Amino acid sequence: MKIEYEHLNVILQKFKANPYKIFKVNTIHTGYIRDFLVKEGDEVKGPSGKWLEKPGTSLFVLEREKNLKTIRAHINGWVQNLRTDLLNRFVEAEETILEIKHPLSQQEIISEILLSALYLVKAPETAKYVLSPGLAAKIEKEGLHKVKIKKGDELLIMTFMKRETPIFFEEDGVFLIYNIYFKPFQLIERGQPLIGLCPEEQLPYLEKIVSRIREEWPL
Amino acid sequence: MKEKILIANRGEIALRIMEACKDLGIDYVVIYTKEDVESLHVRYAKEKYRICDYRDMNDLLAVADESGCTAVHPGYGFLSENFRFARRVVKRSRPLIFVGPSWEAIRDLGNKLFMKKLAKDLGIPVIPGTTEPVYNEIEAELKAEELLEELASLGIQKPSLLVKAVAGGGGMGIEEVKSLEELRPTFRKIKAYAKRLFGDEGVIIEGKIPVFQHLEVQLLGSKHGEYVHFGTRNCTIQSPHKQKRIEIAPGFSSQETYSFDPNKVEKEIIDYSIKLAKAFNYDSVGTWEWLVTPDGKYYLMEVNTRIQVENEISAKISFIRNKQVNLIKEQIRVAFGEKLGYSQKDIEFKGTSIEYRLIAEDTKRGFIPLSGTITKFSWPEVPWLTMRTHVPQDKPYTIPTQFDPNLALAIVYGENFEEAKKRGLTLLDQVIIEGVTPDGKELETNLSFLKEKTEFLYKFLEA
Repeated sequence: MKIEYEHLNVILQKFKANPYKIFKVNTIHTGYIRDFLVKEGDEVKGPSGKWLEKPGTSLFVLEREKNLKTIRAHINGWVQNLRTDLLNRFVEAEETILEIKHPLSQQEIISEILLSALYLVKAPETAKYVLSPGLAAKIEKEGLHKVKIKKGDELLIMTFMKRETPIFFEEDGVFLIYNIYFKPFQLIERGQPLIGLCPEEQLPYLEKIVSRIREEWPL
Repeated sequence: MKEKILIANRGEIALRIMEACKDLGIDYVVIYTKEDVESLHVRYAKEKYRICDYRDMNDLLAVADESGCTAVHPGYGFLSENFRFARRVVKRSRPLIFVGPSWEAIRDLGNKLFMKKLAKDLGIPVIPGTTEPVYNEIEAELKAEELLEELASLGIQKPSLLVKAVAGGGGMGIEEVKSLEELRPTFRKIKAYAKRLFGDEGVIIEGKIPVFQHLEVQLLGSKHGEYVHFGTRNCTIQSPHKQKRIEIAPGFSSQETYSFDPNKVEKEIIDYSIKLAKAFNYDSVGTWEWLVTPDGKYYLMEVNTRIQVENEISAKISFIRNKQVNLIKEQIRVAFGEKLGYSQKDIEFKGTSIEYRLIAEDTKRGFIPLSGTITKFSWPEVPWLTMRTHVPQDKPYTIPTQFDPNLALAIVYGENFEEAKKRGLTLLDQVIIEGVTPDGKELETNLSFLKEKTEFLYKFLEA
């Protein structure tokens, strides 16, 4: 699970060559597109504030059952591939209306690179997940990088085909919960990372990697 | 104005509703979510809309308006027994017809506790248990103690209880308690589960009937006060999680020996079901579910105010003036205010029909649902078999993980029980379901379970 420094350089170069990620903005439900509030190339901001209480830039207005809903940006970036041809047309759910070209932040780069360094608990099925109540309470109390888990501990509850199935940790050794990669009850595709773990003794090594990325990729 | 129905469901029931609409000459619109794009109900529909969720009322109604629908058929599951949805459909500024009973009937009969109370008032036997939701574990323990004594007084050896989520259904959120010591932890577990899954932590406690047969009465009421029944079904063969796997109609067999008069019991449960239906001016198809004990006692369990998955086995054995019935067509006709055009004396029952639910599940490991891709699915082309499925036969089909892994309903008909059973076993031998799990292993199905359990049809089983 360790990343060699040379390999880390390669990964960093790759991100430097293309430090963007494209996010599609789809309709969350059916309805009429009543207004576009941005233009092609506009810069947009995601939610901000300590508790993300300030909403993102307004993108477009969707009307359903006489209710107008303003769809806002969830991430910073620039608008591209705006579907202005859909104005005043009825659209289905999951229709792509625009894309946001998002510049990756230092924290996102760290998170992406750590995917190669951490032991990952991946989604065994395309399903909805929630941390087991005991583990969630511990993380809330002690914070990430401090909560330890071992073989047999209940990690997650998976809601799959209308059934709840507990997921237990099956590896030997003691690990620290380093990162959580999902939001509760969000649909996660099979194989996507859910939790990033690191063996207790490797925490200093990971911190070193993080410092190195911070040096290379300033805020 | 020509009627047009929004089919607010997915999979095989959407296909059956499409077929009924075509037969009746009614236009229809189909909805689907992105996970269902490969389902046959999407392939065969001319007019279809992608929505965000089958449970999203606003999306359903937005599509109904956009496509000019005049009615909504909810199918089963999803919003079919949600009285708020039924009420909204008929009370909105552009009202639509709800293909189902009145929202008041859904509300009152769908509330297990209210229904139980009302049934008791009408002198209809119900399973001993709490008639109010229980939230407090001390109260739960007291009720449990009373119930165990009541069950013992009914002559039940080693009585036990079922702790259920009020808002649960389909076998979800139910645990057995064999002694008072187990009550509190189980109560806490179910309460937490109910809150997490249904947002309502109410719990009910019922006596467990240890040996039984699960019978259903199929009713149909119209808006003109007409009531008929389409006999009974026997749904005793279930998974350990109380989910039905094989159903057979009629509910009792003339070839079995009973310690009671099955005709008398059948007549009584039908009469009681109609009595309760009349109390609600029930005006659609509906199913009254009963437990029958080996000594001929019976208890009303619940009422399903919708078309049932297994409706077709009742239809297969019911003939009106020598013509086989289609209950979905009947449901649509009465929703549009038509008179039945026949009475009970016109309905004749002939033969036996068995339904097998073909499911991707691991029957050796707690019947866990399985995901994967179906690579081959075929069955014998014989006149006594009707296969209801949304799974394509001409290309691989990945089972969506958001829903039950039900693949098909195989409905078999025979002149009598022996013939239907023999044909059922032939089908189970000849049907081919091949597939792979996401790990590349062979996909399991419940075919061997169904085969083994066919021998237990019409038997009293231990719960």
